[in-house]
Amino acid sequence: MTVTILKIKTKIGKNCITIGDGQKIYRAIHKTLIRKGTAILDFEGVEVFASPFFNAAIGQLLKDIEPDVLNKHLKVESLSPTGMGTLERVIENSKKYYCDPNYQKSIISLLQEYSEAS
Amino acid sequence: MAQTFSVPTINDGPSDFCRLFKLYNSIIRADPPIVLDFSHCNFLRPNAVAFLGGLARTMQSDSKMLGFDWGTLHDDIQTNLAQNGFLSHVGGFTSPWAGNSIPYREDNGLNSDSIVYYLKTKWLQRGWINVSPLLADNITTNLVEIYLNAFEHSKSERVFTCGQYYPQLNQLILSVADFGVGIPYNVREFMKRTKTGADIKSDYALRWAFAPGTTTVGGMSRGMGLDILKNFVKVNKGSLSLFSHDAYVIVDSDSEKYLTHDCSFHGTIMHITLQCDETLYILPEELSQKKMF
Repeated sequence: MTVTILKIKTKIGKNCITIGDGQKIYRAIHKTLIRKGTAILDFEGVEVFASPFFNAAIGQLLKDIEPDVLNKHLKVESLSPTGMGTLERVIENSKKYYCDPNYQKSIISLLQEYSEAS
Repeated sequence: MAQTFSVPTINDGPSDFCRLFKLYNSIIRADPPIVLDFSHCNFLRPNAVAFLGGLARTMQSDSKMLGFDWGTLHDDIQTNLAQNGFLSHVGGFTSPWAGNSIPYREDNGLNSDSIVYYLKTKWLQRGWINVSPLLADNITTNLVEIYLNAFEHSKSERVFTCGQYYPQLNQLILSVADFGVGIPYNVREFMKRTKTGADIKSDYALRWAFAPGTTTVGGMSRGMGLDILKNFVKVNKGSLSLFSHDAYVIVDSDSEKYLTHDCSFHGTIMHITLQCDETLYILPEELSQKKMF
């Protein structure tokens, strides 16, 4: 079985901020994960994170890969508590976005509600 | 003959932002050349400095002549503007030096490494708050969302920043302004694309934009940045105010208010105040053992 190991600091640097950088990680691991191989993301030495990076790198994996498969096959190592805090928020939102068919409708409904209240 | 506009004293309450916006709207509608007079200005907070920098560049890019009557500046304001580098940016003289001022900064396009460096070394780790490297990373991780939001949603390539440390208040301030299209504009355009309602008031547009998971850009799950920032200032006893079009939001540890006022600015300005007391900060918990997904 394929194992893809990525040292994020080497590939991106010590700041993981942008969607563009997140896409680089996504492209490097998506094929492995969809074939139920293992991907290991090593965040050793990465200091600063932002939600767009995690949305692109990890959140969008949920588009076509089941959460159970990702729990089993995607390993995140040496991620600081700060990075973990941001990642958890991103995954929580991504699960709703990709896995709950009513979620996007609820976002639109909220906008409609605010529009009517205006 | 140049038209002269008087810059008033600018603090950082909603009425101060309103004065800034009214001044800006008068200036951009006036026939150049225009001169700014500071005789009646006793104080400029970082929001005003970032904003005046943006005003100067906006006029420059529209080929409209805007001058600063430096001779009318009160001495302490002049010292502050020289120290933070504003004078060297817009006036072309006096090199900045270190002090309680945090350098005035203009970003022409998103350079995230440069922004992180600025936040960590020029704004945060100057000795006025005893931050551990982990806390510095945590604060920077949250504040970098301001810039991502500004560049992504403003449709403007330039973002203007100024900060200040106030020893008596033990507070650290950061103001970030863009002169783009503003958050309510983006929400209204999104409503047109998705055929969601006829219109929305600006305060409700801001309320929606600050809710978790809301985004005007499709393609992937997004829309966490403003929510992350909001929660960060709430948890850590800071405050945040954001002004865009004729609305503003004020967030602190106890409340979250979305309001309108009788002035408008087409872009967005965000103003963050943090307490310089490291004991107030709550770091995320250690890596949890539960399932990630």
